[in-house]
Amino acid sequence: MPLLDIKNLTLEIDTALGWVKALDKINLSIDSKEVRALVGESGSGKSLIVKSIVGALPDRWRVTADRMNWKGRDLLSMSDTQRRNITRNEMSVVLQNPTTTLDPSATLGEQIGESIPDSMLDKGWFWQRRAQRHTIAMQQLHKVGIRNHELCLSSYPHQLPDDVCQKFAIAMALVSDPKLLIADNPTMGMETTTKIQVLRLLAKLNKTRGLSILFVSHDLLAISAMADTMTVLYCGQTVESGRMSQIKRRPLHPYTQALLDSAPSFRRDLPPKAALSCLEGTIPTLQHLPIGCRLGPRCPRAQKDCVKMPAVRRIHDHHYACHFPLHRDKP
Amino acid sequence: MTPLLTVNNLTYCKKVRPWLGKKEIFRLAPVSFELKAGETMAIMGENGSGKSLLAKLLVGVERPSGGNILLNGEALSHSNKQQRFRAIRMIFQHSKESLNPALTLGSLLEEPLILNTDLDAPSRKKKIELTLTQVGMLPEHQYFYRHMLSEGQRQRVAVARALILNPQIIVADEPFAALDPSVRSQTVNLLMKLQRDLGLGFIFISHNLGIVRHISDRILVLADGNVVESGKTDVIFNWPKSEYTQRLIQAYQALITRDD
Repeated sequence: MPLLDIKNLTLEIDTALGWVKALDKINLSIDSKEVRALVGESGSGKSLIVKSIVGALPDRWRVTADRMNWKGRDLLSMSDTQRRNITRNEMSVVLQNPTTTLDPSATLGEQIGESIPDSMLDKGWFWQRRAQRHTIAMQQLHKVGIRNHELCLSSYPHQLPDDVCQKFAIAMALVSDPKLLIADNPTMGMETTTKIQVLRLLAKLNKTRGLSILFVSHDLLAISAMADTMTVLYCGQTVESGRMSQIKRRPLHPYTQALLDSAPSFRRDLPPKAALSCLEGTIPTLQHLPIGCRLGPRCPRAQKDCVKMPAVRRIHDHHYACHFPLHRDKP
Repeated sequence: MTPLLTVNNLTYCKKVRPWLGKKEIFRLAPVSFELKAGETMAIMGENGSGKSLLAKLLVGVERPSGGNILLNGEALSHSNKQQRFRAIRMIFQHSKESLNPALTLGSLLEEPLILNTDLDAPSRKKKIELTLTQVGMLPEHQYFYRHMLSEGQRQRVAVARALILNPQIIVADEPFAALDPSVRSQTVNLLMKLQRDLGLGFIFISHNLGIVRHISDRILVLADGNVVESGKTDVIFNWPKSEYTQRLIQAYQALITRDD
């Protein structure tokens, strides 16, 4: 049984022009001990998916799903308290951009102390519990590779470099010993060497603790180094999902192909200074979404049928939603 | 043939004077390199290694404490600003923040023309329209404000602003870092096309080694203000000499090749 199983998740947002589907029939499932990548450009709804999984969306937005199960229990129909318990104890989120998500007015020591659940502490006097909190925080920081824990715990977020803050945010997410870690763009704007460190850390946690990771990013290099399976998102629609190696070797959807082509590192045969292949135009805004397949206007293979939403088709465990997939011309 | 840009022993020292004595905070050790027309040079290095500082010294934001910069064989002095500003232009990392929200793109692009050339209003307008079409936008875009544009278009405007004075060298500080993959390839293609057509010299700073390898001819590696290594892209990527470069390249190789 998958850890998290989402089928046909739809999120509607109330705008001045009426209800707009920001997410349209998203399918996503994460098995335990799996590293799944969620790839998409900005504005494709990656962060909205993360927020709807942990239930951090405003009440007036409509979230509907055929299935949204956490270990077989339906997340949407349970009460707020139950849901909060699950998100508190079993999932953790590392949000984008640690310098803005950490509280600027509290030291990092206070912040991580707050996120340690009481169940991890013995009963005792408050000073004993405080000492325990401190030891737990210290251990966590060592685990993620911050050596100078005293300095880190006593400083404010703005006093530390970005990569230390990012590692700290990961430590804070892992302190409650979750089953699933949702990392929203954890390597954004990092230089290669630091990026490698963070990726190694996540891979190690996945191996040793059996932590499942939902790795949300648009950095294909980092993803290909980390993930087992990948889900590609475009404008709030799942475009393709399957095993990383398979998708990388033979993408079926034109958008996935374009994404892979945009990273020159993957293509050793490319002569230097040759033009990169790319899609024309940019991502449409929420107010001007095309009907049917949302890639339609930018797609090089678009035909008349593309104004209808393509059904999800599958070959083994490789799912794709396209009328005219690559490598698979109609007989 | 004289190279387009020659940098001889360029140094920079930043000193702070606490109470007593002089404390040196940062120094850029003598940097020398040459750039030919139509060539791209990438500057690599970790944060705080002086990459952006070198870019600032080249465009003339900061004053170097020693050494000189030669453009086509003649020295650039700090007093002759117009000459430098016309020849060397800069593209910034965040195209959104670097454009003024209160001005239309037309007036934004007109400003460097007013300050640095003696064109009259109609010819300025013509020049703006020409530059906008050059970067793949419409002449009508001059009446737009920055918030009406998408991310890719903003980056194009930033390129247009750099191009409008017919520069010989463009210095770009992380121009692709904040862009999405598909928009990024568009910008990369645009810059390479402009370089081919106009014979521009490019100096660009980036973390993304994949793109560095793709578009640059030569690489300069900086660490703590010192030049660690410099040479042809091919050579640096395949046979890095210094330990520092090896670490950078290895980290990058570890990302693309995965043992499974």
